[in-house]
Amino acid sequence: METEKGQSLWGDAWRRLKKNRLAMACLGMVVFFTLLALYGEGVHQYWKWKDATPPFQLADLGKAYTAPGLHHWMGTDGLGRDVMSRLVQGARIAYKVGIVTSLIAIPIGVFFGCIAGYFGGRTDDFVVWLYSTFASMPGLLFILAIAMLVGKGLLGIYLGIGLTTWVGLCRLVRGEVIKHKEQTYVQAAKALGLGPARIIFLHILPNIMHVVIVTFTLRFPAAVGTEVFMSFLGIGVQDEPSWGLMINNARMRLWQGMWWEMTFVTLAVFLLVLAFNLLGDALRDALDPRLND
Amino acid sequence: MLKYIAKRLFQMFPTVVGVVLVTFLLFNVVGGDLAATALGKNVSLQMMEDFDAQRGLDKPLFFGYRAGTRAFEDLDASVGRGRWQAWSNATHSAETGTVAIGPQTEILLPAFALDPGRDYEWTVVYRGKAILAGEALDSGRWSRAKIRFGGGRDVFLQTGEEPFELRRLSLRKVVANPFDSQLSFYVRQLLRGDLGTSEYFKQPVARLLADGIVPSLKLTVPIFFIGIVVSVSLSLVCAFFRDTWLDRFFVVLSVALMSINYLVYIVAGQYLLSYKLGWFPVWGYESWRFLVLPVAIGVVSGLGANLRFYRTIMLDEMYKDYVRTAFAKGVSKPRVLFVHVLKNAMIPIITNVVIAIPFLYTGSLLLESFFGVPGLGYLGINAILSSDIDVVRALVLIGALLFVVANLLTDLCYAAADPRVKLG
Repeated sequence: METEKGQSLWGDAWRRLKKNRLAMACLGMVVFFTLLALYGEGVHQYWKWKDATPPFQLADLGKAYTAPGLHHWMGTDGLGRDVMSRLVQGARIAYKVGIVTSLIAIPIGVFFGCIAGYFGGRTDDFVVWLYSTFASMPGLLFILAIAMLVGKGLLGIYLGIGLTTWVGLCRLVRGEVIKHKEQTYVQAAKALGLGPARIIFLHILPNIMHVVIVTFTLRFPAAVGTEVFMSFLGIGVQDEPSWGLMINNARMRLWQGMWWEMTFVTLAVFLLVLAFNLLGDALRDALDPRLND
Repeated sequence: MLKYIAKRLFQMFPTVVGVVLVTFLLFNVVGGDLAATALGKNVSLQMMEDFDAQRGLDKPLFFGYRAGTRAFEDLDASVGRGRWQAWSNATHSAETGTVAIGPQTEILLPAFALDPGRDYEWTVVYRGKAILAGEALDSGRWSRAKIRFGGGRDVFLQTGEEPFELRRLSLRKVVANPFDSQLSFYVRQLLRGDLGTSEYFKQPVARLLADGIVPSLKLTVPIFFIGIVVSVSLSLVCAFFRDTWLDRFFVVLSVALMSINYLVYIVAGQYLLSYKLGWFPVWGYESWRFLVLPVAIGVVSGLGANLRFYRTIMLDEMYKDYVRTAFAKGVSKPRVLFVHVLKNAMIPIITNVVIAIPFLYTGSLLLESFFGVPGLGYLGINAILSSDIDVVRALVLIGALLFVVANLLTDLCYAAADPRVKLG
C-alpha cells in the first residue's frame, strides 16, 4: 500500500530536480565551488589575522613560470605565485561579487515589484517609469561609468552591477504580484484587516519566492562574468587575485607558451558559470507549476 | 495608426526625461568631485575651477542663491578642517575648536584671483577684532557675520593689536538667478545639441562620436545580420529535429556558448586563429580582412543566447492549433516550418531584433579595443580608463536614448504586424 505524501511546492520541486541528472551534477559543481570559496575566505582571514602577506601574494622570481607539476599542480605565474591557490582566492572574490550584488539588486527589485504590483495606480506608474528608465541605460557602459565615478575597486563593482541589474526581477515580481493579488488567500487576508506590508511580505512574497530563487541562480553567473571583465580592464579588483586580473596577466604569456594559468582560470570561470546557468534552467523547470503533469 | 503613434510618442516622453535625469544624477550628484576624477591630483585649483565653469559645475545643483568656489576651502575649526596650517601666525586649538590669529598679520585668503565680474560672500563665525575684505569685524562675544563683496580686489584678513579667533570661515559665490543651476545648464546644453568637450582629446564630443560611428557600424552591422540569420536558421533546425539528439546537442551547445566568457573568445581567437594559424591579422583596421575575426567572434558569442531564445519561440509556435491543422491537411514539414511557423514567430523575432539596434551604435566595447577598431566602443573603454567624463556621459546618454527609440520602433512594428495590438 502506498500512501500519498503531503506535497509542498518545494518538496515537489526537489523531487523533480533529483530526477534530472544533469541538474544534480551542476548542483554538485556549485557546492564544490561554494566550498572552495569558503576555504579561500578561511585562508584569507587566517593571513589577515596573522598580519602577514599570504603566500598567494608573495613573489618568488626564482620559481616564475614553473609548469604544472607535483609541487604546483597548476604551475606558477610570472611572479612565481602558485596558480591553484590564487585560483581559489579568485573563487572567493567571484562569490563575494555574486552575493553582494545580489544583496543589492534583489531587495530593490523585489521591493519595487511588490509595491507596484500590489498598489497599482500612481505607485505602479512611478515604478514602471523607474524601471523603463533603468532598462534603457546601455548595460555594460552604464556599469563601467558607475564604477569609474565611484572609484576603482570592489565597491565600484558592487554598486555598478547591483544598481543596474534589478530591473528584470522587478518586472517579473510585479507581474506575479498582480496575478496573486486577486486570489482568495489575499482577499481573505484583506478581509481579516491585515495591513498591506504584512500581506505583501508575509503572504504573497513566500508564494513568489521561486521567481527570486531562479533569478538569483541566473544572475549570479552574469555578475561573475561582469566582474571578470571589469577586473580584466583594470577598473575592478586591484591587488587581490581576481580571475579577471589573472586572465589579463596570463594573456601576454600565452603567446610564449605559458598555457597553464590561462587554461585553468578560463576553465574555472567556464565551469562555474555553466553550472549556475544549467542549474538555474533546471530550477525554473522544477519550480514552474505550469509544467506539472 | 496615427493615433497609436501619437500615443506611443507621448508615452516615450517620461522615459526620455528619466534618462536625462539619471545621467545627471549619476554624474553631477553621485559622481562627487568630477574635476578631481578627470584631472587627477596634481593640478592647480584654478584649473579645477575652469573645468567646473566650462561644465556648469560651479552652479547650484538644482536651485539656489549661493554656489561653492574652489578658491577657498571651508574652514571649520571644531573638526580641524581647512587650510589654516598654511597661514602665518595662526594657531589651531583642538580643545576649544578655534583658530587664533596673532596680532599685526595680513593673510591673503583665496588660492587664486577671484572673478572680478561677480559678487562673493564670506560667512564668518568669529570673536575679536579684524578686517576682512575691507570690512571691520569687532565683537567681544562669538558672533556670525556675512560680508558681500565684488571679486575684483585681493581679499585679505588683517588683524590689529587685539586678538582674533575664528570658528568658521567660508566663501560662496553669489548667484544672480537661482534657476541658473547645474540641471538647467545640462538641459540647455543638450537642447543645443552640445555633448560637451573631451578633456583628453581637447575636442568636442560630438566630433569624436561622428568619427567613431562608421568603424563601429562596419563591425556591428555584419555581426547583427549574420547573427540573426544563423541563429534563426539553427532554431528552425532545432524545431525540425525536435527531441532528437541534434536538438539536444544544440541546446547544450547554446548554454555552453553562453557560459564562455567574452574574454576567452577574444584571447583564444587571437592566439589560435591569428597567431598560431595566421589566418587573420591580429590587430588593426586597414581592410575588410581585419574585420573577419572580430565579426566571427561577435557572432559566436551572441549565438548561444539568441539560439535559445529563438528555439523557445519556435517550439511555442509548434504546439499551436494552426500547425496541427496544417499538418492534418497534409502540408509538408519544411513548408509548415518555413512558411507557417516562421511567419507567426515574426513578432517575437522583431522584438529581439529591433531591441538590439542600440548595440549597433555602442559598438562592441571589448572587440573594438582588442582588435584596434577605432569605433565608439574603443572610444568608450579609453574614456573610462582615462576618466574622460564628458565622453562617457555622452555615450551613456545616447545609448539610452537610442534604446528608447528602438522600443518605440518595436511597438510600431508590432502594431503593423498584428492589428490586435493597437486596440489593447
